Amino acid sequence: MLGYVLDRFKSSIVVLFVVSVITFFVLMIIPGNPAQLILGTDATPEAISELHVAMGLDRPLYQQYLSWLLDLLKLDMGRSYVYGESVTVLIARSIPVTFSISIFAMILAVFIAFLFGMISAIKKNSIADYFSRSIMQLGAAIPSFWIGMVFIVYFGVKLKILPVSGFVPFEENFFKFIKSILLPSIVLAIGEVGTLLRIIRSSMLDSLKQDYMDMARVKGLSAGKIYIKYALRGALTAPLTIIGMQFAKLAGGTVVVETIFALPGLGRLVLTAVEHRDIVLLQGLVMFITSTVIIITLFVDISVMFLNPRIKKFKQGEL
Amino acid sequence: MKNNVSLILGIILVLIIIVVWALSFIYMPYPPNEMNIPNKFLKPSIDSEHILGTDNFGRDILSRIMYGSRNVLLVAIGSVTLGTLLGIFLGAVAAMKRFADTIIMRIMDGLMAFPGILLAMMLVTVLKRGIQGSIIAISIFMVPVFSRLVYSMIQDTETLLYIKAAKSYGSSRRQIFFRHYIPAMLPRLITQFSSAIGSAVMIETSLSFLGLGIQPPFASWGLMLSESRQFFLGYPYLAVAPGIAIIITVLGFNLIGDGLNDILINRGNSNE
Repeated sequence: MLGYVLDRFKSSIVVLFVVSVITFFVLMIIPGNPAQLILGTDATPEAISELHVAMGLDRPLYQQYLSWLLDLLKLDMGRSYVYGESVTVLIARSIPVTFSISIFAMILAVFIAFLFGMISAIKKNSIADYFSRSIMQLGAAIPSFWIGMVFIVYFGVKLKILPVSGFVPFEENFFKFIKSILLPSIVLAIGEVGTLLRIIRSSMLDSLKQDYMDMARVKGLSAGKIYIKYALRGALTAPLTIIGMQFAKLAGGTVVVETIFALPGLGRLVLTAVEHRDIVLLQGLVMFITSTVIIITLFVDISVMFLNPRIKKFKQGEL
Repeated sequence: MKNNVSLILGIILVLIIIVVWALSFIYMPYPPNEMNIPNKFLKPSIDSEHILGTDNFGRDILSRIMYGSRNVLLVAIGSVTLGTLLGIFLGAVAAMKRFADTIIMRIMDGLMAFPGILLAMMLVTVLKRGIQGSIIAISIFMVPVFSRLVYSMIQDTETLLYIKAAKSYGSSRRQIFFRHYIPAMLPRLITQFSSAIGSAVMIETSLSFLGLGIQPPFASWGLMLSESRQFFLGYPYLAVAPGIAIIITVLGFNLIGDGLNDILINRGNSNE
């Protein structure tokens, strides 16, 4: 079992390394001189070449990569030229926004998906089943920016019950904090519910077919006990893995939602970096977000393994 | 094939979009970029000359939706085709040539690790914004999906008797690949292709919405939504048509993918 943990750990490090290489070299082939970009068009050639050397751009690429990687490990991601601030500080400031809406969205998505997924599996091919499968398909097909705009018109402008933009930190006012993240979180949750519902439904169906379900029925246990204690427990592995992956992806995939609701989160920073071709900021952001995703996925995989003795055995057999 | 609701519904939705797309080459009510300021913000109505109304420049929304379907489908189908071909090639090389295995598949793992549209956004930064840039960015996003699929399918079929037999007859790698692997993989590839188009449409419209995809004055559904953001509080209908167009397209291709999955892969034991 320790072997499996070490193995997963090792492969995560390899993926992180590959990601850093891709991020660095893809963003290095950008057309134009970064020094020129920073100083603007009316800078003198001397000033540009001075900054060029000062930024270390005259060194061979692999040396630039290595020094970038070393700085990254020290959490020094350089200075953003758009904001004129340290990238680490900018990221640290945006984390609360993105994480608040991601966590809240996941809670909503998990709740809805489990509710409908279980009903849909237990009452297979009933109206409730068709209803929740329609939600599942629609949720995956509705663009988040569209549903966001609809929500703004309806809840923000017509009903005037929820703010349509901005973020209130929770230490400032908890009630306003919840109000400010409610709409963005619902929009994010709608996008995630479909995938999760599908997984929950199919693992529930699998679990309902197992012999221990007959056993539970023969013992004459109540329906609630049968479904919650036996069927659901047997069906948790796949959904847990997916929840971890979805949460990880949400933390990086909130660009669109943050744009519509004007939230100052990580996604907003990514968009600014892309729009202004702020390479240093973008490199830092991509590395931070992707590492977060990889670490969360690793953590979820290992905890799922501890929770489910069957995987333990299976993986041991494999090793 | 009994009662495959998903497939039938999916085909109907995709047909609607294809008809709109085909019609855009034959007849559009107005030139899609023609501005007519006096006629701006006309409300949609059946009797009007502008059935879906006009936008802030007085451009006919129906014509722009029709013209936009060209760009959306071109980017989606172009990028998925490119990504599929590249993915099949890389996956096959990785599975059939030992030394390439680790390098290619580790790069694919790396590409898969970028969440959501982050990879596409990063690539768009480097590429020129527009149709070409979007196609390349989205196709690279698709490559790891297909290469992993092909890689694992070849590894699964490798040990099957008929492949071993073909090898013992002295068939070349290329023969085995085209005569045996490709037919065996086709059902999964087609299914994946259809679902991938659904997600490509979603990525394209998201990029255009963020201003990183197709550039004005050209029409794209995502761009139309983004342009309507300033005005839609007063004129909500601006956002209705492009939104519905996107939903129909994505839903259609996703449903076809699901339906094919039931027929071609989960034959009989479908859970769906």
